[in-house]
Amino acid sequence: MARCQGTVESLCQGLLDLDDDKFGAMCSAFGYLQEWPDLSAMCGGANLGVPAVVAPRAGDGDGDDSSCSGSASGGGFRKRRPDAYLDAKGDGNDMSKRPRGKQQLCGRGEIATPGKGKQERPKAATKKKAEPASTAAAAGQKTDYIHVRARRGQATDSHSLAERVRRERISERMRYLQELVPGCSKVTGKAGMLDEIINYVQSLQKQVEFLSMKIAASNPVVSFDIVEDLFGRQLKQACSPASLPAMALQAGQLEPSCLQNQMSPMQQVHASAAAASTGFGLDMVVNNNLYPSAAASCPVSAAMPVSAAAGPSIEPCLNVNATAAWDIGSQNLFNGFDAQFQSVESDCLLDNLKMEM
Amino acid sequence: MSSRRSRATTVSEEEINELISRLQTLLPNAGRRGGNQASATKLLKETCNYIKSLHREVDDLSDRLSDLMATMDQNSPGAEIIRSLLR
Repeated sequence: MARCQGTVESLCQGLLDLDDDKFGAMCSAFGYLQEWPDLSAMCGGANLGVPAVVAPRAGDGDGDDSSCSGSASGGGFRKRRPDAYLDAKGDGNDMSKRPRGKQQLCGRGEIATPGKGKQERPKAATKKKAEPASTAAAAGQKTDYIHVRARRGQATDSHSLAERVRRERISERMRYLQELVPGCSKVTGKAGMLDEIINYVQSLQKQVEFLSMKIAASNPVVSFDIVEDLFGRQLKQACSPASLPAMALQAGQLEPSCLQNQMSPMQQVHASAAAASTGFGLDMVVNNNLYPSAAASCPVSAAMPVSAAAGPSIEPCLNVNATAAWDIGSQNLFNGFDAQFQSVESDCLLDNLKMEM
Repeated sequence: MSSRRSRATTVSEEEINELISRLQTLLPNAGRRGGNQASATKLLKETCNYIKSLHREVDDLSDRLSDLMATMDQNSPGAEIIRSLLR
Protein backbone atom coordinates (compact mmCIF):
# COMPACT_ATOMS: atom_id res chain seq x y z
CA MET A 1 0.00 0.00 0.00
CA ALA A 2 2.67 2.37 1.00
CA ARG A 3 4.48 1.65 -2.19
CA CYS A 4 1.40 2.29 -4.19
CA GLN A 5 1.04 5.62 -2.59
CA GLY A 6 4.57 6.48 -3.42
CA THR A 7 3.93 5.33 -6.90
CA VAL A 8 0.98 7.52 -7.44
CA GLU A 9 2.74 10.46 -6.00
CA SER A 10 5.78 9.99 -8.18
CA LEU A 11 3.49 9.65 -11.09
CA CYS A 12 1.84 12.89 -10.32
CA GLN A 13 5.18 14.58 -10.14
CA GLY A 14 6.15 13.01 -13.43
CA LEU A 15 3.05 14.25 -15.05
CA LEU A 16 3.64 17.69 -13.78
CA ASP A 17 7.03 17.80 -15.34
CA LEU A 18 5.68 17.62 -18.82
CA ASP A 19 5.78 20.86 -20.62
CA ASP A 20 3.07 22.23 -22.77
CA ASP A 21 4.43 21.27 -26.16
CA LYS A 22 4.89 17.67 -25.29
CA PHE A 23 1.57 17.71 -23.67
CA GLY A 24 -0.11 18.90 -26.80
CA ALA A 25 1.73 16.36 -28.92
CA MET A 26 0.66 13.59 -26.63
CA CYS A 27 -2.87 14.72 -26.72
CA SER A 28 -2.96 14.50 -30.46
CA ALA A 29 -1.04 11.24 -30.52
CA PHE A 30 -3.48 9.65 -28.20
CA GLY A 31 -6.47 11.24 -29.69
CA TYR A 32 -8.22 7.95 -29.94
CA LEU A 33 -8.44 7.85 -26.22
CA GLN A 34 -10.50 10.93 -26.16
CA GLU A 35 -13.59 8.91 -26.33
CA TRP A 36 -13.07 8.21 -22.66
CA PRO A 37 -13.20 11.63 -21.25
CA ASP A 38 -14.52 10.33 -18.01
CA LEU A 39 -11.34 8.36 -17.43
CA SER A 40 -9.44 11.52 -17.32
CA ALA A 41 -11.57 12.62 -14.48
CA MET A 42 -10.33 9.66 -12.59
CA CYS A 43 -6.81 10.44 -13.52
CA GLY A 44 -7.34 13.90 -12.33
CA GLY A 45 -8.47 12.50 -9.07
CA ALA A 46 -5.42 10.34 -8.86
CA ASN A 47 -3.27 13.35 -9.38
CA LEU A 48 -4.80 15.26 -6.62
CA GLY A 49 -2.89 13.65 -3.87
CA VAL A 50 -5.34 11.22 -2.33
CA PRO A 51 -3.00 8.29 -2.29
CA ALA A 52 -4.87 6.30 0.28
CA VAL A 53 -7.97 6.11 -1.82
CA VAL A 54 -6.47 6.14 -5.23
CA ALA A 55 -3.49 3.91 -4.80
CA PRO A 56 -5.23 0.54 -4.77
CA ARG A 57 -7.11 1.48 -7.82
CA ALA A 58 -3.99 2.51 -9.58
CA GLY A 59 -2.52 -0.88 -8.85
CA ASP A 60 -5.46 -2.69 -10.33
CA GLY A 61 -5.61 -0.50 -13.33
CA ASP A 62 -1.96 -1.10 -13.97
CA GLY A 63 -2.53 -4.77 -14.23
CA ASP A 64 -4.95 -4.18 -17.00
CA ASP A 65 -2.70 -1.79 -18.71
CA SER A 66 0.27 -4.03 -19.01
CA SER A 67 -1.60 -6.75 -20.74
CA CYS A 68 -3.83 -4.74 -22.99
CA SER A 69 -3.55 -2.19 -25.69
CA GLY A 70 -4.63 1.36 -25.12
CA SER A 71 -8.30 0.97 -25.74
CA ALA A 72 -8.50 -2.22 -23.74
CA SER A 73 -6.97 -0.61 -20.75
CA GLY A 74 -9.40 2.18 -21.25
CA GLY A 75 -12.06 -0.39 -20.69
CA GLY A 76 -10.32 -1.41 -17.53
CA PHE A 77 -10.47 2.07 -16.24
CA ARG A 78 -13.99 2.45 -17.24
CA LYS A 79 -15.15 -0.10 -14.76
CA ARG A 80 -14.04 2.11 -11.99
CA ARG A 81 -15.41 5.25 -13.40
CA PRO A 82 -17.96 5.98 -10.73
CA ASP A 83 -15.33 5.87 -8.02
CA ALA A 84 -13.19 8.10 -10.06
CA TYR A 85 -15.84 10.67 -10.25
CA LEU A 86 -16.39 10.54 -6.59
CA ASP A 87 -12.76 10.84 -5.76
CA ALA A 88 -12.23 13.62 -8.16
CA LYS A 89 -15.07 15.57 -6.79
CA GLY A 90 -14.24 14.90 -3.22
CA ASP A 91 -10.68 16.01 -3.60
CA GLY A 92 -11.25 18.98 -5.72
CA ASN A 93 -10.32 21.30 -2.89
CA ASP A 94 -7.22 19.38 -1.94
CA MET A 95 -5.55 20.18 -5.18
CA SER A 96 -4.90 23.73 -4.33
CA LYS A 97 -2.74 22.66 -1.42
CA ARG A 98 -0.14 21.26 -3.73
CA PRO A 99 2.12 23.43 -5.79
CA ARG A 100 1.32 22.14 -9.20
CA GLY A 101 1.05 24.92 -11.70
CA LYS A 102 -0.85 24.41 -14.88
CA GLN A 103 -1.70 20.79 -14.50
CA GLN A 104 -3.41 21.50 -11.33
CA LEU A 105 -5.80 23.77 -13.03
CA CYS A 106 -6.51 21.18 -15.60
CA GLY A 107 -7.14 18.65 -12.98
CA ARG A 108 -9.64 20.81 -11.29
CA GLY A 109 -11.36 21.69 -14.46
CA GLU A 110 -11.72 18.26 -15.78
CA ILE A 111 -13.90 17.01 -13.05
CA ALA A 112 -16.80 18.51 -14.82
CA THR A 113 -15.43 19.13 -18.29
CA PRO A 114 -14.52 16.05 -20.27
CA GLY A 115 -12.98 18.17 -22.97
CA LYS A 116 -10.08 19.12 -20.80
CA GLY A 117 -10.03 15.87 -18.97
CA LYS A 118 -8.97 13.88 -21.94
CA GLN A 119 -5.60 15.44 -21.69
CA GLU A 120 -4.82 13.69 -18.50
CA ARG A 121 -5.61 10.28 -19.77
CA PRO A 122 -3.31 10.47 -22.75
CA LYS A 123 -0.52 11.49 -20.51
CA ALA A 124 -1.03 8.52 -18.35
CA ALA A 125 -0.78 6.34 -21.40
CA THR A 126 2.39 7.97 -22.62
CA LYS A 127 4.11 7.42 -19.36
CA LYS A 128 4.66 3.85 -20.33
CA LYS A 129 6.31 4.94 -23.50
CA ALA A 130 8.58 7.41 -21.84
CA GLU A 131 9.69 4.98 -19.17
CA PRO A 132 12.50 3.06 -20.94
CA ALA A 133 14.37 6.25 -21.60
CA SER A 134 14.26 7.46 -18.05
CA THR A 135 17.00 6.30 -15.77
CA ALA A 136 15.64 7.76 -12.61
CA ALA A 137 13.97 4.54 -11.62
CA ALA A 138 16.96 2.47 -12.65
CA ALA A 139 19.23 4.26 -10.24
CA GLY A 140 17.95 2.47 -7.18
CA GLN A 141 17.76 -0.92 -8.78
CA LYS A 142 21.29 -2.07 -8.48
CA THR A 143 21.32 -2.58 -4.78
CA ASP A 144 20.36 -5.77 -3.02
CA TYR A 145 17.22 -4.14 -1.96
CA ILE A 146 15.57 -3.49 -5.25
CA HIS A 147 13.56 -0.39 -5.15
CA VAL A 148 11.22 -0.23 -8.06
CA ARG A 149 8.74 2.39 -8.85
CA ALA A 150 5.99 1.69 -11.22
CA ARG A 151 4.56 4.60 -13.06
CA ARG A 152 0.98 5.00 -13.94
CA GLY A 153 -0.02 2.48 -16.47
CA GLN A 154 2.58 -0.02 -15.39
CA ALA A 155 1.94 -3.29 -13.75
CA THR A 156 2.86 -3.54 -10.11
CA ASP A 157 2.76 -7.27 -9.56
CA SER A 158 6.12 -8.75 -8.71
CA HIS A 159 6.62 -10.52 -12.02
CA SER A 160 6.09 -7.45 -14.06
CA LEU A 161 8.34 -5.45 -11.79
CA ALA A 162 11.07 -8.03 -12.02
CA GLU A 163 10.74 -8.14 -15.75
CA ARG A 164 10.99 -4.41 -15.92
CA VAL A 165 14.10 -4.40 -13.80
CA ARG A 166 15.61 -7.03 -16.02
CA ARG A 167 14.87 -5.06 -19.14
CA GLU A 168 16.30 -1.95 -17.61
CA ARG A 169 19.49 -3.77 -16.77
CA ILE A 170 19.75 -5.17 -20.24
CA SER A 171 19.31 -1.83 -21.88
CA GLU A 172 21.79 -0.31 -19.49
CA ARG A 173 24.36 -2.92 -20.48
CA MET A 174 23.57 -2.32 -24.09
CA ARG A 175 24.25 1.35 -23.64
CA TYR A 176 27.51 0.53 -21.99
CA LEU A 177 28.50 -1.81 -24.77
CA GLN A 178 27.56 0.86 -27.21
CA GLU A 179 30.22 3.05 -25.72
CA LEU A 180 32.71 0.24 -25.75
CA VAL A 181 32.23 -0.88 -29.31
CA PRO A 182 33.23 1.68 -31.90
CA GLY A 183 30.64 2.42 -34.52
CA CYS A 184 27.97 0.76 -32.49
CA SER A 185 26.17 3.95 -31.71
CA LYS A 186 25.21 4.38 -35.33
CA VAL A 187 23.42 1.09 -35.41
CA THR A 188 19.86 1.11 -34.26
CA GLY A 189 18.04 -1.82 -32.84
CA LYS A 190 19.19 -4.54 -30.53
CA ALA A 191 19.82 -7.02 -33.30
CA GLY A 192 22.08 -4.68 -35.19
CA MET A 193 23.95 -3.81 -32.06
CA LEU A 194 24.48 -7.42 -31.11
CA ASP A 195 25.71 -8.11 -34.59
CA GLU A 196 28.14 -5.27 -34.32
CA ILE A 197 29.33 -6.45 -30.93
CA ILE A 198 29.89 -9.96 -32.20
CA ASN A 199 31.92 -8.69 -35.12
CA TYR A 200 33.96 -6.51 -32.85
CA VAL A 201 34.71 -9.29 -30.41
CA GLN A 202 35.73 -11.53 -33.26
CA SER A 203 38.02 -8.94 -34.71
CA LEU A 204 39.61 -8.36 -31.33
CA GLN A 205 40.17 -12.06 -30.89
CA LYS A 206 41.80 -12.23 -34.29
CA GLN A 207 43.97 -9.31 -33.41
CA VAL A 208 45.15 -10.93 -30.21
CA GLU A 209 45.79 -14.12 -32.06
CA PHE A 210 47.74 -12.39 -34.74
CA LEU A 211 49.88 -10.47 -32.30
CA SER A 212 50.70 -13.52 -30.27
CA MET A 213 51.59 -15.32 -33.46
CA LYS A 214 53.94 -12.59 -34.45
CA ILE A 215 55.59 -12.71 -31.09
CA ALA A 216 55.86 -16.44 -31.31
CA ALA A 217 57.42 -16.09 -34.70
CA SER A 218 59.88 -13.58 -33.44
CA ASN A 219 61.48 -16.15 -31.24
CA PRO A 220 64.81 -16.45 -32.98
CA VAL A 221 65.44 -20.09 -32.18
CA VAL A 222 62.24 -21.49 -33.53
CA SER A 223 62.59 -22.59 -37.08
CA PHE A 224 60.12 -21.52 -39.62
CA ASP A 225 58.24 -24.76 -40.02
CA ILE A 226 57.49 -24.83 -36.34
CA VAL A 227 56.27 -21.33 -36.58
CA GLU A 228 53.93 -22.46 -39.29
CA ASP A 229 52.83 -25.27 -37.09
CA LEU A 230 52.13 -22.86 -34.31
CA PHE A 231 50.09 -20.79 -36.65
CA GLY A 232 47.92 -23.75 -37.37
CA ARG A 233 47.40 -24.38 -33.70
CA GLN A 234 46.76 -20.80 -32.90
CA LEU A 235 44.09 -20.57 -35.52
CA LYS A 236 42.41 -23.62 -34.15
CA GLN A 237 42.57 -22.30 -30.68
CA ALA A 238 40.85 -19.14 -31.78
CA CYS A 239 39.18 -18.31 -28.52
CA SER A 240 40.61 -20.86 -26.18
CA PRO A 241 41.71 -20.05 -22.65
CA ALA A 242 44.73 -18.30 -24.03
CA SER A 243 42.64 -15.23 -24.62
CA LEU A 244 42.16 -14.18 -21.05
CA PRO A 245 45.01 -12.74 -19.10
CA ALA A 246 43.45 -14.02 -15.94
CA MET A 247 43.92 -17.51 -17.23
CA ALA A 248 47.36 -16.84 -18.49
CA LEU A 249 49.13 -19.30 -16.31
CA GLN A 250 46.88 -22.06 -17.35
CA ALA A 251 47.38 -21.13 -20.93
CA GLY A 252 51.07 -21.31 -20.47
CA GLN A 253 50.75 -24.74 -19.05
CA LEU A 254 48.32 -25.95 -21.61
CA GLU A 255 50.11 -25.13 -24.73
CA PRO A 256 53.25 -27.14 -24.39
CA SER A 257 51.35 -30.31 -23.82
CA CYS A 258 49.02 -29.62 -26.69
CA LEU A 259 51.90 -29.04 -28.95
CA GLN A 260 53.66 -32.06 -27.73
CA ASN A 261 50.90 -34.23 -29.00
CA GLN A 262 51.31 -32.82 -32.42
CA MET A 263 54.98 -32.77 -32.93
CA SER A 264 57.68 -35.27 -33.44
CA PRO A 265 59.95 -36.02 -30.51
CA MET A 266 62.74 -34.23 -32.23
CA GLN A 267 60.76 -31.04 -32.22
CA GLN A 268 59.39 -31.39 -28.78
CA VAL A 269 61.94 -29.33 -27.04
CA HIS A 270 61.67 -26.56 -29.51
CA ALA A 271 57.97 -26.78 -29.40
CA SER A 272 57.80 -26.40 -25.71
CA ALA A 273 60.08 -23.47 -25.82
CA ALA A 274 58.10 -21.92 -28.59
CA ALA A 275 54.87 -22.51 -26.81
CA ALA A 276 56.26 -21.00 -23.72
CA SER A 277 57.17 -17.91 -25.56
CA THR A 278 53.82 -17.89 -27.25
CA GLY A 279 52.24 -17.91 -23.92
CA PHE A 280 54.39 -15.28 -22.45
CA GLY A 281 52.54 -12.46 -24.11
CA LEU A 282 49.50 -13.50 -22.23
CA ASP A 283 51.44 -14.03 -19.08
CA MET A 284 53.18 -10.79 -18.87
CA VAL A 285 51.52 -9.56 -15.77
CA VAL A 286 52.19 -12.77 -14.04
CA ASN A 287 55.72 -12.91 -15.27
CA ASN A 288 56.63 -9.48 -14.23
CA ASN A 289 55.22 -9.91 -10.83
CA LEU A 290 56.18 -13.43 -10.11
CA TYR A 291 59.56 -13.76 -11.55
CA PRO A 292 61.58 -12.45 -8.65
CA SER A 293 59.67 -14.38 -6.07
CA ALA A 294 59.74 -17.49 -8.18
CA ALA A 295 63.44 -17.22 -8.53
CA ALA A 296 63.79 -16.80 -4.85
CA SER A 297 61.48 -19.53 -3.77
CA CYS A 298 62.52 -22.19 -6.20
CA PRO A 299 66.04 -23.34 -5.83
CA VAL A 300 67.13 -23.74 -9.41
CA SER A 301 70.63 -24.98 -9.49
CA ALA A 302 72.90 -26.08 -12.22
CA ALA A 303 72.38 -29.54 -10.90
CA MET A 304 68.79 -29.40 -11.85
CA PRO A 305 68.67 -31.21 -15.10
CA VAL A 306 66.07 -30.15 -17.55
CA SER A 307 65.84 -31.11 -21.18
CA ALA A 308 68.59 -30.03 -23.44
CA ALA A 309 67.12 -26.86 -24.87
CA ALA A 310 65.11 -25.88 -21.89
CA GLY A 311 68.10 -26.04 -19.62
CA PRO A 312 69.92 -23.16 -21.17
CA SER A 313 66.75 -21.20 -21.29
CA ILE A 314 65.92 -21.62 -17.68
CA GLU A 315 69.31 -20.71 -16.46
CA PRO A 316 69.19 -17.53 -18.49
CA CYS A 317 66.39 -16.47 -16.31
CA LEU A 318 69.32 -15.85 -14.18
CA ASN A 319 70.79 -13.88 -17.04
CA VAL A 320 72.82 -16.30 -19.05
CA ASN A 321 70.90 -16.31 -22.27
CA ALA A 322 71.33 -13.55 -24.74
CA THR A 323 68.07 -13.07 -26.55
CA ALA A 324 65.13 -11.39 -25.04
CA ALA A 325 62.68 -13.82 -26.47
CA TRP A 326 64.36 -16.77 -24.90
CA ASP A 327 64.60 -15.02 -21.68
CA ILE A 328 60.95 -14.34 -21.61
CA GLY A 329 60.12 -17.80 -22.73
CA SER A 330 62.10 -19.30 -19.98
CA GLN A 331 60.58 -17.01 -17.45
CA ASN A 332 57.32 -18.37 -18.47
CA LEU A 333 58.45 -21.90 -18.11
CA PHE A 334 59.86 -20.99 -14.83
CA ASN A 335 56.69 -19.49 -13.49
CA GLY A 336 54.32 -21.89 -15.06
CA PHE A 337 55.99 -24.93 -13.70
CA ASP A 338 57.33 -23.53 -10.58
CA ALA A 339 55.65 -26.16 -8.51
CA GLN A 340 57.07 -29.14 -10.27
CA PHE A 341 60.56 -27.91 -10.52
CA GLN A 342 61.74 -29.65 -7.43
CA SER A 343 60.94 -32.99 -8.96
CA VAL A 344 62.05 -32.37 -12.50
CA GLU A 345 64.26 -35.10 -13.76
CA SER A 346 66.53 -35.06 -16.69
CA ASP A 347 64.66 -34.85 -19.94
CA CYS A 348 61.36 -35.08 -18.09
CA LEU A 349 60.05 -31.60 -18.40
CA LEU A 350 57.52 -32.39 -21.02
CA ASP A 351 56.40 -35.60 -19.41
CA ASN A 352 55.96 -33.71 -16.26
CA LEU A 353 53.81 -31.21 -17.98
CA LYS A 354 51.72 -33.92 -19.34
CA MET A 355 51.23 -35.43 -15.94
CA GLU A 356 50.33 -32.09 -14.63
CA MET A 357 47.61 -31.77 -17.12
CA MET B 1 -2.63 -5.82 -37.22
CA SER B 2 -1.88 -7.45 -33.94
CA SER B 3 -1.02 -10.75 -35.62
CA ARG B 4 1.39 -9.06 -37.97
CA ARG B 5 2.96 -7.26 -35.10
CA SER B 6 3.35 -10.38 -33.03
CA ARG B 7 4.90 -12.19 -35.97
CA ALA B 8 7.33 -9.37 -36.44
CA THR B 9 8.29 -9.41 -32.78
CA THR B 10 8.79 -13.16 -32.76
CA VAL B 11 11.03 -12.93 -35.78
CA SER B 12 13.19 -10.32 -34.20
CA GLU B 13 13.08 -12.24 -30.96
CA GLU B 14 14.45 -15.29 -32.69
CA GLU B 15 17.01 -13.20 -34.42
CA ILE B 16 18.14 -11.74 -31.14
CA ASN B 17 18.24 -15.12 -29.50
CA GLU B 18 20.42 -16.40 -32.26
CA LEU B 19 22.72 -13.43 -31.98
CA ILE B 20 22.95 -13.88 -28.24
CA SER B 21 23.91 -17.50 -28.56
CA ARG B 22 26.52 -16.57 -31.13
CA LEU B 23 27.88 -14.01 -28.76
CA GLN B 24 27.91 -16.59 -26.03
CA THR B 25 30.05 -18.94 -28.06
CA LEU B 26 32.56 -16.17 -28.55
CA LEU B 27 33.05 -15.64 -24.86
CA PRO B 28 35.82 -17.63 -23.21
CA ASN B 29 33.60 -19.48 -20.77
CA ALA B 30 31.00 -20.39 -23.33
CA GLY B 31 28.68 -23.22 -22.46
CA ARG B 32 29.15 -22.81 -18.77
CA ARG B 33 25.64 -21.61 -18.41
CA GLY B 34 22.55 -23.31 -19.68
CA GLY B 35 19.80 -20.90 -20.56
CA ASN B 36 20.76 -17.96 -22.62
CA GLN B 37 17.61 -15.98 -22.38
CA ALA B 38 17.55 -15.88 -18.62
CA SER B 39 21.09 -14.62 -18.33
CA ALA B 40 21.06 -11.96 -20.98
CA THR B 41 22.13 -9.42 -18.41
CA LYS B 42 25.01 -11.54 -17.29
CA LEU B 43 25.99 -12.27 -20.84
CA LEU B 44 26.14 -8.62 -21.71
CA LYS B 45 28.14 -7.89 -18.62
CA GLU B 46 30.59 -10.61 -19.47
CA THR B 47 30.82 -9.28 -22.97
CA CYS B 48 31.77 -5.90 -21.59
CA ASN B 49 34.46 -7.41 -19.43
CA TYR B 50 35.71 -9.60 -22.21
CA ILE B 51 36.02 -6.73 -24.62
CA LYS B 52 37.94 -4.79 -22.03
CA SER B 53 40.27 -7.68 -21.38
CA LEU B 54 40.83 -8.10 -25.10
CA HIS B 55 41.71 -4.44 -25.36
CA ARG B 56 44.22 -4.85 -22.58
CA GLU B 57 45.65 -7.90 -24.19
CA VAL B 58 46.05 -6.26 -27.55
CA ASP B 59 47.83 -3.36 -25.92
CA ASP B 60 50.12 -5.66 -23.99
CA LEU B 61 50.96 -7.73 -27.00
CA SER B 62 51.65 -4.70 -29.13
CA ASP B 63 53.96 -3.31 -26.49
CA ARG B 64 55.73 -6.59 -26.21
CA LEU B 65 56.13 -6.93 -29.92
CA SER B 66 57.53 -3.48 -30.31
CA ASP B 67 59.95 -4.19 -27.49
CA LEU B 68 61.03 -7.34 -29.21
CA MET B 69 61.51 -5.57 -32.47
CA ALA B 70 63.55 -2.92 -30.78
CA THR B 71 65.83 -5.34 -29.02
CA MET B 72 66.23 -7.69 -31.92
CA ASP B 73 69.14 -7.65 -34.23
CA GLN B 74 68.06 -6.21 -37.54
CA ASN B 75 69.78 -8.91 -39.53
CA SER B 76 68.80 -11.90 -37.49
CA PRO B 77 66.55 -14.55 -39.02
CA GLY B 78 63.87 -13.73 -36.47
CA ALA B 79 63.70 -10.17 -37.65
CA GLU B 80 63.38 -11.44 -41.19
CA ILE B 81 60.50 -13.61 -40.19
CA ILE B 82 58.72 -10.82 -38.44
CA ARG B 83 59.24 -8.51 -41.31
CA SER B 84 57.84 -11.04 -43.71
CA LEU B 85 54.86 -11.50 -41.43
CA LEU B 86 54.20 -7.85 -41.04
CA ARG B 87 54.22 -7.31 -44.73
